[in-house]
Amino acid sequence: MFSRLLSRLGLFAAPLFALALAGCSKADLTVRQSTLDPKGPVAQMQYDVFMDTVWLVVVLFVLVGGLLVYAVVRFRARPGDTAAPIAEEGHGNPLVEIGLITASIGALVFIAVPTLSAIWYTDDVPAESIPKSKLSAWYGAGLDPAISEQVLEIDVIGKQWWFRFEYPQLGLTNDAKHSVPNEMVIPKGVAVRINLRSEDVIHSFWIPKIAGKVDLMPGRKNRMWIQADQVGHYYGQCAEFCGDSHAYMLFRCEVVEPADFAKWVAAQKAPAAPVAAGSKAEQGKNLFAAKSCVMCHNVGGHFGAGAFGPDLTHLASRKSLAGAWLDNRDPRAQRALEQTSPLGTEASVPVDRATFKANLIKWIGSSGIAQGADGKPTQDVKPGNRMHYYKMFNVAGLRETHQTLTADELDALAEYLLTLK
Amino acid sequence: MSQDAAHHAPTSTGIDHKKLIMWLFLASDCMFFGTLISTHLLYRKLYPTGFTDAEGHQQFVQNLFNIELTSFSTFILLMSSFLMALAVSAMHKGELKSFRRNVLGVIFFGLIFLGCQVYEFTHFYHQGLTIQNSVLGSTFYVLTGTHGTHVAIGILWLVLLYFYSFTGKLGGHVGALDVEVAGLYWHFVDIVWIIIFTAVYLVEYLGPSGIWGNGLPVLAK
Amino acid sequence: MSHDAHHAPVASKLDLAPERSDLGLYRPDRTRGLLDWLTTVDHKKIGILYGAFAMLYFLIGGIEALAIRTQLARPDQTIVTARMYNQLFTMHGTTMIFLGVMPLSAAFFNFLVPLQIGARDVAFPRLNAFSLWAFVFGAFVLNASWLFEFGHLAGWFDGFAWHQALTYTDFAPANGWFSYAPLSGTFGQANAALQSPRFTGVGTDFWIIGIQILGVASLAASFNFICTIINLRAKGMTMMRLPVFTWMTLVTSFLIILAFPAITVALIELMFDRQFGANFFNPSAGGQPVLWQHLFWIFGHPEVYILVLPAMGIVSEILPTFSGKALFGYPIIVFSGAVIGFLGFAVWSHHMFTTGLGPVPTAAFSLLTMAIAVPTGVKIFNWLGTIWGGRVRFTPPMVLALGFIWMFMCGGFSGVMHSSAPADSQQQDSYFVIAHFHYVLLGGVLLGLMAGLYFWFPKIFGRMPNATVAYVASGLVILGFNLAFGPMHYLGLAGQPRRTHTYHAGNGWEDWNFVATVGAFILGIGVFIAFANLVYTALKGPKCSSDPWDGRTLEWSLPSPVPEYNFAQSPVVGARDAFTEHKHGTKRIAYEADGGEAGVHMPSQSWMPMLAAAGFLFIGFGMPMMAMGIPHAGWVVVGGVAVLFAGIWFWALEGPGGYMLKTPAVSPTPAGSPAAAPTAH
Repeated sequence: MFSRLLSRLGLFAAPLFALALAGCSKADLTVRQSTLDPKGPVAQMQYDVFMDTVWLVVVLFVLVGGLLVYAVVRFRARPGDTAAPIAEEGHGNPLVEIGLITASIGALVFIAVPTLSAIWYTDDVPAESIPKSKLSAWYGAGLDPAISEQVLEIDVIGKQWWFRFEYPQLGLTNDAKHSVPNEMVIPKGVAVRINLRSEDVIHSFWIPKIAGKVDLMPGRKNRMWIQADQVGHYYGQCAEFCGDSHAYMLFRCEVVEPADFAKWVAAQKAPAAPVAAGSKAEQGKNLFAAKSCVMCHNVGGHFGAGAFGPDLTHLASRKSLAGAWLDNRDPRAQRALEQTSPLGTEASVPVDRATFKANLIKWIGSSGIAQGADGKPTQDVKPGNRMHYYKMFNVAGLRETHQTLTADELDALAEYLLTLK
Repeated sequence: MSQDAAHHAPTSTGIDHKKLIMWLFLASDCMFFGTLISTHLLYRKLYPTGFTDAEGHQQFVQNLFNIELTSFSTFILLMSSFLMALAVSAMHKGELKSFRRNVLGVIFFGLIFLGCQVYEFTHFYHQGLTIQNSVLGSTFYVLTGTHGTHVAIGILWLVLLYFYSFTGKLGGHVGALDVEVAGLYWHFVDIVWIIIFTAVYLVEYLGPSGIWGNGLPVLAK
Repeated sequence: MSHDAHHAPVASKLDLAPERSDLGLYRPDRTRGLLDWLTTVDHKKIGILYGAFAMLYFLIGGIEALAIRTQLARPDQTIVTARMYNQLFTMHGTTMIFLGVMPLSAAFFNFLVPLQIGARDVAFPRLNAFSLWAFVFGAFVLNASWLFEFGHLAGWFDGFAWHQALTYTDFAPANGWFSYAPLSGTFGQANAALQSPRFTGVGTDFWIIGIQILGVASLAASFNFICTIINLRAKGMTMMRLPVFTWMTLVTSFLIILAFPAITVALIELMFDRQFGANFFNPSAGGQPVLWQHLFWIFGHPEVYILVLPAMGIVSEILPTFSGKALFGYPIIVFSGAVIGFLGFAVWSHHMFTTGLGPVPTAAFSLLTMAIAVPTGVKIFNWLGTIWGGRVRFTPPMVLALGFIWMFMCGGFSGVMHSSAPADSQQQDSYFVIAHFHYVLLGGVLLGLMAGLYFWFPKIFGRMPNATVAYVASGLVILGFNLAFGPMHYLGLAGQPRRTHTYHAGNGWEDWNFVATVGAFILGIGVFIAFANLVYTALKGPKCSSDPWDGRTLEWSLPSPVPEYNFAQSPVVGARDAFTEHKHGTKRIAYEADGGEAGVHMPSQSWMPMLAAAGFLFIGFGMPMMAMGIPHAGWVVVGGVAVLFAGIWFWALEGPGGYMLKTPAVSPTPAGSPAAAPTAH
């Protein structure tokens, strides 16, 4: 008896479960990467289409599921049934069949129409958005006339396992030694065109609250457009499996007022401040050169050779590290803010220096450069990362010559990096 | 009960199992070659300008191809199909000697075709087209090489049938069917070559400057 | 009915004179023991072997799944490394699809199709054995990559020069079951040794060759089944009288022979990229990685229907049986199955909505994908119509079949949600998709296959599984399944991407991931109990009658277990649901005048299919060993090809053989039929 009960309970678990899920307060719809909390027109459009499908499916679920339950209960075998065979219905009932097929097609038209309109809407910046989104309409002084009628374009370049953001119209490019790793900044309320490229494998660009994902395909140029209508700190993540550390390939998107955006651009072009002579930071700066960090990383005003790795000129101003996996803010303060802020999770606390330094030591120390307890390079934070050049160039022979750092050197290096505001 | 009767109980459709399964295999093989040919054509459309050889010179496909030679080997392969048809017909009539003569002809022509392909591959290789240096090289060698492998397997099969015919076991309805099935395969491989010859070689010469628009005069050497 | 009384075999093969093949060798002729299982060409034994191996791989794939769920139970866990996690989900997907569901479907094809169409065997019995062994060896190659991986982790290879020269040391595949290039391929120019820079190690090579071998196995089996269904039907068994399961086998087989060539070519191209420095998918040399995706999904989407249609066929057999009523709208069910198969080739790009196809293709594939919901819905309506007005008997197979309809319907609904490309751009590669296809493939296909196992097990072994245990197991499976995959809908919409080995606390994913893990373990226990119940039944279960469910199709007219010749005399069928008509209706099954004293022709056993397939074992190990840089590994491949050709050569030369077996008469033999002595020839 119990077994039959269990199996029937199991049978009807699906609808029960759907109800439980819907009614459960634990299912918070505004979490950091929620797709159900759109904060821009693209995500809103995608959300609206999704909700159309949800309503259709709920109706169908109740109808078909209800009929199924009814049929199974109503037509269950009972003691005393006659043993006579039931009349042949092998050919079905043409009227019922055709009616149901027509109804299904009708139901699909209900979602096909919004789907089609949304496909074209999300494909490129809509014409009606251009007047208010073109650079001349919101960006401050010093604009090249050649670009003033264009909307802001951001090049997103995916690499294993971080994103590089470039703003070619505004001079923030890797070639100009002003690229922006992992934390992009966009102005509020205007449309931005995103150009997607990859330098190795396929990645995917996804900020759930602002827009659905589009892939970064090597050998191809993809594009999308986004717009965020609320200032804040948004969370994004690579959504295409891209190798060992795919789970660690995150990024952030800071949405600011248009006026603040121009200030941010100017700040990005500023070189790093000089370090104080004789300080620990200066020792770190020397190590930065001596341990060949400089080969890959650009530090504007200090070192200019690196183009392969993330630009570190303004590292200390970033809220995250290591492909946005490590958070440089005080986690408790951030959580408290997220629970109380009327903005929800889009609010952000400033960088916490102690957390940041701990992250730097953890990250650099575990990147195959510093020695672990057993004398071998350790690798914890991001397995497979290219923090050493033998990995970058994929040459096994260089493995023997790799550099290592002692704990004290690591500390000095972190002190130096923290001066790069 | 005779062996033949036991093995050849009437089928539901009247088509023998072996013939039916060969048709099914060929249907599958159509998709196989269809995929390979599509790969080649897609890349040809994407990169119409040929390839770059080891010295860094831009090379055009028309300069590489020796269309006379390939036309010759295509003709030879077509003729082998003709001989194959004769071999099948001979087998149906029970003329074992005629079958052997014709099947030897098919094998010989098949080997000529393969020889031309080997020559072509080495020639192209020395001209600078390798499987590594361009997408064109990859698609060309893998597509035509796969077809060559089909031809080689066909030759192997026919050689087996040829020697088998001396054991005395290749005869009657079963023998004719076995040869006919091999014939189906051989004809299919030939037809595929006609398509490959058209899609890989001939289209390069279509129109005043080639279908891919690479600006080269027709048959410029 | 007392068919059983007539069906005791009157001649054993061992009574016959030993048989020599055309090569002069004695043919294997054991009817029991290991030798029999290795050389059998009996479709029923081959079916049982397929089923046994499928269950083994379900177990392995299930352990991989539980390892995945354990790692994800809490945020920031480090139970397995990132790479090991990637290998686990790659092998979980590959194992479940290619080594679990497909072989279990093949087990049903093998066992049931000849019985349902009134045939004594498949059209090509030795080819059937070849398919089985190619599958077994391909599956072994794929899983042997784990042995290399563990050997590597344990440091067994550290002393070898080839091991020290490896840049990438993943030995088990870590590309996902889809192996997207260029992650699975190459990048940059090939060097002198034809080695192109790449992102993964020999795990990918194991995957490539393993899938290639499994493809050969599936293709060979499918040619055979189409031939069997088209050509070996009993008299009166017209196409529109075929049991629906046989129909779905036919559609599935056509899907396999038309879809697998695409992946075969894609794998060849990827193999050339990796082993010989070709540029098919190498972006730095002009290759287009998106081409891999197209080729993969042109295969991959029909593959989904290859997995689903057999289960639909099974359910279409079970529902009428336990509703006491013919399948509602048989022609429409058959037709919609064929339409699903056909449309399945026209929707592959819905897996690629995020790759930047452009609005027109995206719209077209969106609409086509929605269109495929119509024939799928038609099937569900017709199943409902079958229950409607019937007398529903609750048995373990029926409970599982109803579970199939429920879960498959839920999976279909979430499928409708991401047929809409804009909605899909938020769902693609998130846990929402995982929830969707597990509702289709686990809640749908696995429940359908389990229903089939509980339905036909009495036929296969003549023993009845314990119903109480079966109810407990199916309850646990359905409950655990919903607990594991229901929350993933939410997790996906809350932005959790798939194929990530861990996640931070603070994203709101912690609680539901924990629930999902608990559910996964309940599900695992349920599946284990269900399978253990079956294994116990096969060995020691209580004997049952030959027709315990009041079955509707021809196989139930045979004794259980089914004798090796299946039908003592070939049936002549007068109606759809032939056995129900025979028992309760007017159109009784007639029998031809074959069999009896004249004997029926039985195919001889053979070593050659396994010998030929063993070539794949060497090829399968040789190719990855070449990629590892092990000296002279190329000769292993050459040897494998030689073994393959030798096997086929001897296979051709040994001749089909066969012997006559006397069978008992079902109905009086017509006077004057020749009575042949049981002699081998």
